[in-house]
This record gives sequence, structure tokens and C-alpha cells, in this order.
Amino acid sequence: MVSIKKIITRDKISTILFLIIPIVLVIIFIYICIIWNVVVSLSDWDGLRPSYDFKGFGQYQKLFTNEIFLTSLWNNIVLILIFVPGSLVMGLLLAILLDQKVRKENVFKLIYLLPFTLSFVVTGFLWRWMYNVRVGVLNTLLESIGLGFFRNDWIQNVDWAMFWVCVVLIWQYSGYMMLIFLAGIRSIPESQVMAAAVDGASGFQMYYRIIIPQLKAPIFTGFVLLLVFALKAFDLIFILTGGGPGYTTEILPLTMYKEVFRKKHFSYGSAIATILFLLIMIVVIPYLYKTYRREK
Amino acid sequence: MDPKKQSIIIGLIAVIATAGIVGGVMYAILAPSEEGEADVLEIYHWWTSGGEAAAIGALVDVFEGLYPDTTVKQRAISGGSGITMIPIITALVLAGEAPDAFQMHAGYEGIAYYEADLLEDINDIWTDNNLEAVIPDVVQSMCQFEGDFYMVPVNIHRSNVVWYNLKELEAVGVDPKTLTNWTAFFDACFEFEDANPGKDAIALGHAWTQAHLFEQILASQGIDVYENWINGLITNTTDADISAALDILATFMSYTNDDFDSLSWNEATDLLIQDNSVFNIMGDWANGEFLVANSVYDDDYGTIAVPGTGNMYGLVVDAFQHPAGVANPENSDRWLEVVASKEGQDAFNPLKGSISARTDSNLTLYEPYHDWTGADFASVTYMFPSVVHGSGAPQSFSAELNAIINAFCTGAANKADTAAAIANLAADNIADYTTTWALD
Repeated sequence: MVSIKKIITRDKISTILFLIIPIVLVIIFIYICIIWNVVVSLSDWDGLRPSYDFKGFGQYQKLFTNEIFLTSLWNNIVLILIFVPGSLVMGLLLAILLDQKVRKENVFKLIYLLPFTLSFVVTGFLWRWMYNVRVGVLNTLLESIGLGFFRNDWIQNVDWAMFWVCVVLIWQYSGYMMLIFLAGIRSIPESQVMAAAVDGASGFQMYYRIIIPQLKAPIFTGFVLLLVFALKAFDLIFILTGGGPGYTTEILPLTMYKEVFRKKHFSYGSAIATILFLLIMIVVIPYLYKTYRREK
Repeated sequence: MDPKKQSIIIGLIAVIATAGIVGGVMYAILAPSEEGEADVLEIYHWWTSGGEAAAIGALVDVFEGLYPDTTVKQRAISGGSGITMIPIITALVLAGEAPDAFQMHAGYEGIAYYEADLLEDINDIWTDNNLEAVIPDVVQSMCQFEGDFYMVPVNIHRSNVVWYNLKELEAVGVDPKTLTNWTAFFDACFEFEDANPGKDAIALGHAWTQAHLFEQILASQGIDVYENWINGLITNTTDADISAALDILATFMSYTNDDFDSLSWNEATDLLIQDNSVFNIMGDWANGEFLVANSVYDDDYGTIAVPGTGNMYGLVVDAFQHPAGVANPENSDRWLEVVASKEGQDAFNPLKGSISARTDSNLTLYEPYHDWTGADFASVTYMFPSVVHGSGAPQSFSAELNAIINAFCTGAANKADTAAAIANLAADNIADYTTTWALD
């Protein structure tokens, strides 16, 4: 008895007790759900009544010959290509601006971060109104300051809709990126910056050669966060454009929602979810690998 | 106390407290309610706006008048077309917690429940109340699956209505009664735009309103074309009828407001009320917009059938049903009887702005607009179920139609691609076309 007591100290017992609840919840609501989703995608469940008879990879084959799925996948890639670098660059610029020892820094920080604190449903409605062609804020504002020729049909424009959707996402995320970068910049030892200044580095050179190269870790973290978000963005686009005009802003989560909740194609929708999961894993696994290796 | 002991005690308290909270919440959610034992009727619907809420309130009043001991619990969940309510209902029904009745569009919208054995047939209610004698054939078939009745209709909205601004139309010397074909209609549009530079003849709204419009145009190509379309028979990617309908749609778009894609259906109707345009094609729920704006029928505004559909009535039908395994089966049946009754329909529909699904309703209770449409309902040759509003075609088809038509209207897709997309959509989902409509 004594030896067991020694092994399982009381501290350990309380730690285990504390951990049991979250671990059980995570296992049930995340891991079992993921596995269940894969099982459904391989089943013949089509309609409201669950059915788990094995049907193979037919749904996956169907996906890659389906034009709507391929369009959504492509739109997702376009979203990533505009939104991820856009947010990183904007966040970095804002962080550099705030690093200039501005007065009332906290006020600016708050202002830039505010969009991120709003729910995507709120910002979706807000921007839908801003972009409204007839009575929207943007067109009215342009008109009133004499720039009426810049009036635009914004998210209604077939060629540019995705771009304007990305603008909203960048607006919402760049404040958050700013915080990450600012923390990164502030963690660079003052002595390095001073040394560079003594060596005659100009402001631009200072950032380009000294500071930004040391921001690799926050840039990588930000990149992964944004990429994962870009893959699973749903609420904002659902409210803002609903995937339109046509299919121009429809991304995978919207297609998945439509398949499952409108058409009741549960196994087909689950196949889309599995593909999304795999895409996110492609991003997250290298990140985790790198992070753990660094910690070791 | 020994700090280790203390931490163990705190740990245990945390576990017990968490278990208590989680257990309590789960019990509150999952415990069978006692309502099942009491005399209760629980119904779900999405009628939450002013007139709609008053309408369902009037229907509930009729029920309570007949069954004063029953407590009616209305669960109103806002969100047009049940966009929020349906996922909730789906979850409840699958969990065996279905309410005693819930609102849905008649026709294909109910088929997922039927195929999963989640509806009970209500042939007795139809027979006992002699409903087949007073409800038109097409509406009857919208309430059936494989020959048995599963729903009762509560109302009929008409989809193929052109709303016109009477004063603007008179100003350009056009008699609305002459607008029975698309050529005359587009000539009138031209006249209006010619006389009113800077204004657009037609007011149009966002995605689903465009699909709604396409559906009416397709019906104008003939009831057999429409019938083939909703029976999944148009699978040729270069179909001549679809192509002709898209040509009409393209001409139509040349007379609409440029910002159509950012307007809701009622904002589009408002353009017409405010004299900014002269025509709007929309279902007859639009009549409420005119009433709110104090416009007078046959004085400020008027209606004609969509050109080419004068002998047709486009049907948008809300219905109730008897879900399987409900807590109060007897009340569910009583509710359906009240919904289908002449008194129930004439209490509900004048406030809702629709007409009764029964041909014996008392039209004097309704708005002046309904004199016109009510007379048509009793006399038209053909009726057709709407696809956009959930009835005519499988969800696998209707869920994509909006985006396909929207792509055409906004210029994202050309005519050939659109026609092909519509045909392929039917071909890809052909297994879902389990109803064969007979419209003529």
C-alpha cells in the first residue's frame, strides 16, 4: 500500500480528477464526433433516418466530379490567397505603426482590435449594409465627398465579390494579427535595436533587416491561425453573400451546410466535412510538429 | 489542514459540483416534460411578423373556442421559409420529441419526414371532413405521398402575380389588361423607361426572388413544360423551352434596377410603391406591403397574372401534419381538423394575406385584391406548385436553383451554361423525383 501511495501521490490524484471531466468531454464531443463523421461519410445515410451500412468511397468519388464542390474548393483557395497574406501584411503594418511610440497607444490598440471582438454574424449584417449599392454607407460616402465615380456594386460584382468579402475578413482579423506581431516586436531585445541604430540603420532597414526576420514565430503562428479560419469560415459569408452572386463566394463549409441541412444528404455532406478536416490537418500537423520540436 | 488533503477535498468538490451542474442541465434538457400528461397542443411555426402572428393567433382562437380545456403552446421561431425552424424541428423529430404539429410547405418539403417514417397518414381526417370535395386536385396531390394524405393545407399564396403601379402605367397610356404576353409587357416597360429617364421599369430583388421569377416565366411557356420540368423530365442541356425562358429572363433583366441583388423582396416592392418603377413580379404576400403603405387596390396599384399564365394559379402552400409519436395525438388531429375547416381558414387567411385552400371560403372577409385572385382560384384551368417555395421539386434541386438563376441574372453564367446547369441538376438528382405531378 505504501509503495502505491508513493507512486500515486495525492497531488497526482487531484490533477487526474480535475482533468477527467475536460478529457471525457473532449473525447466525446471532438474525437468521437470526428470519427463518427468519417463513418457517416462512408455510409449510405441519405435522408433523415440514420443508416450506417458501409457504402465505400463513392461519396468522395462523387465530390471530385461535382462542379459545385470543385468551385467551392477553388473559392476557398482564392479566399486563402487573398485573406491570409492580406491580414498578415495589415497586421504587421499596424504593429509597426503602433511601435512608433505613439501617444495613447492603448486607445489605438483597442480601436484596431474592436472588429475582432464582434461576432461574425454582426459584422456580416453590418457590411452587407455598408456594401448596399443603393443606400449603403460606402456608396453614399463616396457620393457625398465628390468621389461618385468610385461608386461600386461591391459584393454584387461577379468578378470582385470574393475580393470584397476578403476585405471584410481582413478588416476583422488584422487587429488580432497586430496584437500578435506587436508582442513579437516588443520581445526583441532593446540592445539589438540600439546596436543597429548605432550602426546607422535607417527606419526601413531596421524593420527589414533586424525586426521582421525575428518575427518568424509570430508570422508562422498567425499564418496557421488565419489559414485554418479561412478553411472553415462560414458565418460571415453565409450572412454577407450567402455564397453569391451565383457560386462566386461559395466556399466548402457553405456547400456542406446546404447538402446536409437543406438537401439532407448526410453522407455526402460528411464527406465534404472530412475533406475540410484533412485540409486543416495538412496545415496544423506541420505546425504542431514544429512547435513541439522547438519546445524540446 | 494538510495542504494535500485540502487539494484532494477541493478536487472532489469540483468534480461533484461539475457533475451536479452538467447532470442538472442535461436533466432539464432531456427529461420528459410533464406536458404530455396534461391537455396540451404544442405547435411550431415561423409566423412572427405582425399580420402573420395575428393570423395564427386567430386560428388558435378558433381552436380554443372549440376545445377550451386544451392549452395551446405556440412556438414561433422567426426566419422566413423556416430557415431557422426546420433544423430545430428536424432535431426534435429525430429525437422522438416532435411537436404535435409544425408548419411546413406542402409537397416535397415534407418528403424527408415521410421517407423516414416520421409522419402518420391522415386519410381519416380528409375523409371525415370531406376535404376532397372542397380542395383542388393539385393542392390535394401536394398533401399526399404515394396516394395517402399526410398534410392539410392552411392557406394558398399565389406566385404568378405582376404588381403594377396604376398611376405610372396610366401616365404612359398602357392598359394593364392588354399585358397578356411578354411582347406587350416589354413594350410597356420600354414606354415607361422612355417617358421616365433614369428610372427602371421593373423592380427586382435578391437571389430567391430571381428564381421565383424564372419559375413564373417557365410556367408561361405552357403548363406541360412546367409539368415536365417539375417531374424531372427536362434533362437535355440544350432544351428549347428552358432556352426560351432564359431569353425572356435576359430581356426582363434589361429593364430591372441595377442593384437588384442587394434588395430584399419587400424593398423591391417598395420601389414600385414609391413610383420608382412600374412592375414587380412577386407572390401575393406582397399585398401586405401595399396595405402598410396605405396604397389602395385598383386606385394606386393593381395586379395581373404573369404574362402567359392567365389561366394558371401558381401555388405556395403552407401545411400542418401529424408527426409520428407525438405527445398529444388526439389534439394533433383536432388541430388539423380546425386548420382545414372553413372557419379556421377564414379566420387565418384574411389576416395572413393569403386565400383559403378551400373553394367554399367566404371571400367577402378578404381584401379587395383577393376578390380578383379568389375569383381566379375558382376559375383557372391549371394550378402549379412552386419549386422555389419548397413544393414542386426535390430539395436537392430547389436548393441549388437560386444560385444557378442568380448566376445568370448577375452575368456570372451565360445562357448555355445556365440551361445546362438546370438540366444537369435534374439529371444528377433524378432518383429524388418520387412524385409524378399531373397538372393538366
